Amino acid sequence: MSIGQQGSTSSGGSAGGSGAGPSPAGTPIEFRLDPATGVPTYLQLVHQVEHALRLGYLRPGDQLPKVRDVVASLAINPNTVSKAYRELETKGLIVGRPGQGTFISATLSQVTLPELSGLRRSLRSWLAKADTAGLDESGIVALVASELRDFYERRSGSPTRGGAAPGETEGVA
Amino acid sequence: MTALRTMSEPALVEQGANPPPLPWRRMAWVTWRQHRTALIAVLAVLGALALCLWIVGVKLHHAYAAATACHPASSAACGAVVANFNAIGNFLSNGVVFLVLPPLIGAFVGAPILAREFEAGTFRYAWTQGFGRWRWTVAKLVALGAAVTAATGGLSVLASWYYQPYFASGRRSPALTTFNPLSPGVFVQRGVDFAAWTLAAFAIGALAGALIRRVVPAIVTTLAVGGLLAVATGGWLRMRYLTPLVTRGVNAPASARIVSQWGSRGGRVLFTGPPTFPIYQQYCPAQAGLGKFGGPTSSGNPLQCLVQHGFTLWTSYQPASRFWAFQWIEGGGLLALSVVLIAATVLVVRRRPA
Amino acid sequence: MNVIEATGLGKRYGSTQALRACSLAIPEGHVTALVGPNGAGKSTLLNLAVGLSAPSEGTLTVLGGRAPGSLAALDGIAFVAQDTPLYKHLSAGDMLHLTRNLNRCFDRAYAEARLAELGIPQKRKAGRLSGGQQAQLALTLALARRPRLLVLDEPVAMLDPIARHDFMASVLTAAVDDGVSVLLSSHVLAELERVADYLIVMSSGRIQVAGEVDDLLANHRVLTGPTAEACRYVERPVVQVGGGGAQAHLLVRATADTRSPRAGRRTRSASKSSPWPTCASPTPPRCPARSARAMTTRRR
Repeated sequence: MSIGQQGSTSSGGSAGGSGAGPSPAGTPIEFRLDPATGVPTYLQLVHQVEHALRLGYLRPGDQLPKVRDVVASLAINPNTVSKAYRELETKGLIVGRPGQGTFISATLSQVTLPELSGLRRSLRSWLAKADTAGLDESGIVALVASELRDFYERRSGSPTRGGAAPGETEGVA
Repeated sequence: MTALRTMSEPALVEQGANPPPLPWRRMAWVTWRQHRTALIAVLAVLGALALCLWIVGVKLHHAYAAATACHPASSAACGAVVANFNAIGNFLSNGVVFLVLPPLIGAFVGAPILAREFEAGTFRYAWTQGFGRWRWTVAKLVALGAAVTAATGGLSVLASWYYQPYFASGRRSPALTTFNPLSPGVFVQRGVDFAAWTLAAFAIGALAGALIRRVVPAIVTTLAVGGLLAVATGGWLRMRYLTPLVTRGVNAPASARIVSQWGSRGGRVLFTGPPTFPIYQQYCPAQAGLGKFGGPTSSGNPLQCLVQHGFTLWTSYQPASRFWAFQWIEGGGLLALSVVLIAATVLVVRRRPA
Repeated sequence: MNVIEATGLGKRYGSTQALRACSLAIPEGHVTALVGPNGAGKSTLLNLAVGLSAPSEGTLTVLGGRAPGSLAALDGIAFVAQDTPLYKHLSAGDMLHLTRNLNRCFDRAYAEARLAELGIPQKRKAGRLSGGQQAQLALTLALARRPRLLVLDEPVAMLDPIARHDFMASVLTAAVDDGVSVLLSSHVLAELERVADYLIVMSSGRIQVAGEVDDLLANHRVLTGPTAEACRYVERPVVQVGGGGAQAHLLVRATADTRSPRAGRRTRSASKSSPWPTCASPTPPRCPARSARAMTTRRR
């Protein structure tokens, strides 16, 4: 019997993103859960907030749903929601105001457009090389996932499921 | 989650201390709502019987008044009035209904109390509420037991009134019909017997329901046990509450109930029961053809014949005057039995794991 | 305060030992999942906790030292049994009235508001409600008593997924709003992952594992490797042994050397929660003399 879930960087990032959609201005973000992925629930919530921040659906000053409302709509443990909010708070993305609620306090650092295009170009050439070498899609994914994990482990010094530097997507080891 | 908890109310109870139990009257509505069908059915049946008794009883009392007031008593017209009185009767007179009702009431009111809770699994709800399980049982048993006892007691009062003309003391014309007060059918209708049997059957039903835990088997068991007990009491036990009186001869005083008869000769009992055909054949062949209690014939009374041959005929009986003594003995015994059975039921509920 | 505390608890039905040597200490404020296959003893344990049966051996106290089944315990614990027993011929409103009469504390306004919100008419007989509505009615009656502990025995086994979701959402909302501790049993593990933060695993009448989910996840590892090497880990607390002929999986409780050196930067330690119960250890695998090959460690 297995208690926990497996997580991998790639599935974490994308699975977390399959969820929170844009909402009309003024109403908080609506969380959704994807039970099929192995990503822990609280991480899915964290990723959805980060994803919304990245895409601009959430701005500083927007209010996140109350723990009670998230629990009522998703039927998850309240501790999970508080854990996700604590995680976001540790990353400096949100702040809780007693008696009022939880609010977005920062944005995620954006990568500038020229930098993004440069990264995309080098990635494209690397992919061509990998393909020539005979790596198929799952092989590429596995290689990238393993390298990504090691990269962040080396960098942050502890691969806890939450402890990455603020402003970055953290990988689940 | 502790951080998110709203302020909980200060603990009313210190660790380990029990709060005071809830008041008993809370169970009144609960008992009524859950058992109202059975109670209403019982009341309906008893009400119908009461109506019968009332209608016929009024007629009976009028006829009795007319018959006793009629003078001269031996005239033909008065004879007709007396005959009119004697003719009044109803289906209740033989007492079958009153014998059958207590086991039925006990089975259909008493047995389902606990059996239905077990069968439907609702005891898992009822016994985890704040009232507590053995208190819940006591409240229901006492309330329903008292209800059926009171209802049948009321009907008994009416039946006793109904039978007054038959058992009126004082000078009575021998032409008026009378009943043997100790015969089972009549005994159960008057006095406290009907209510006592109902309570006992109810208690049997309650215990059966607690032990058997299924409604239909509990009902059947209650009917069987209640019925057997009633038959055994009416047929055998009741006649032995007090030592029967013994007399010589084959006749008991009027309205007494014969317990047994036997014949002895030379100190030895030679036969039990009234003298039979083989006895006559052996000792009084001339009277053999006359049957058991042949009246005097030209060849003489057959019983006299036996006496002449050295037989002594005995009859033991219970006199009618012991009616109330037996009522209290039987009523008291049934009440004690009911209390014991109900206490046992509460103990079963309290101790036995669900 | 521990909502449930047991020491050496055992329960015997005739000749069957339904529970043996169970020791537990569930702290308050958690949603606890009691999992195990059918026949593991989950219902037995719950029946003992709510006072419907008495233990054969050992001790059990609830809500900080009260005896199960005592008036103090009955007041503070609300129980919804398997198949949500209700009086089928009584209406929902009658059930409300009934529960109000049988309990010291009953929030009638809350119960009626909830029923209205759920669309359960008060006049309808409980037997005519759908399965999900019956479960919600039973839950409403339980929550309206404002208990400290809510005990649910396989509450969602007979419900369709939507009803299941609604039911659990109600339970968890009550846990947030009122601080109710929840203990629920199930043999369906998948959904409990989202719901529970304290886990008790039972099997064959024994408690295999008990602890906060986060601590359990942090402190257990699955080791996968050649079966022949499995014996090397025999001295560690092994929860489960599985696998085929050549490959074995061991679910072990992490000690200092199996824990990855970079793990453990946790603000909470396992010792804060309840002490580890005695664990039924399976027979350790036989150890042939072979040279060691590395076993891969995978955090589980």
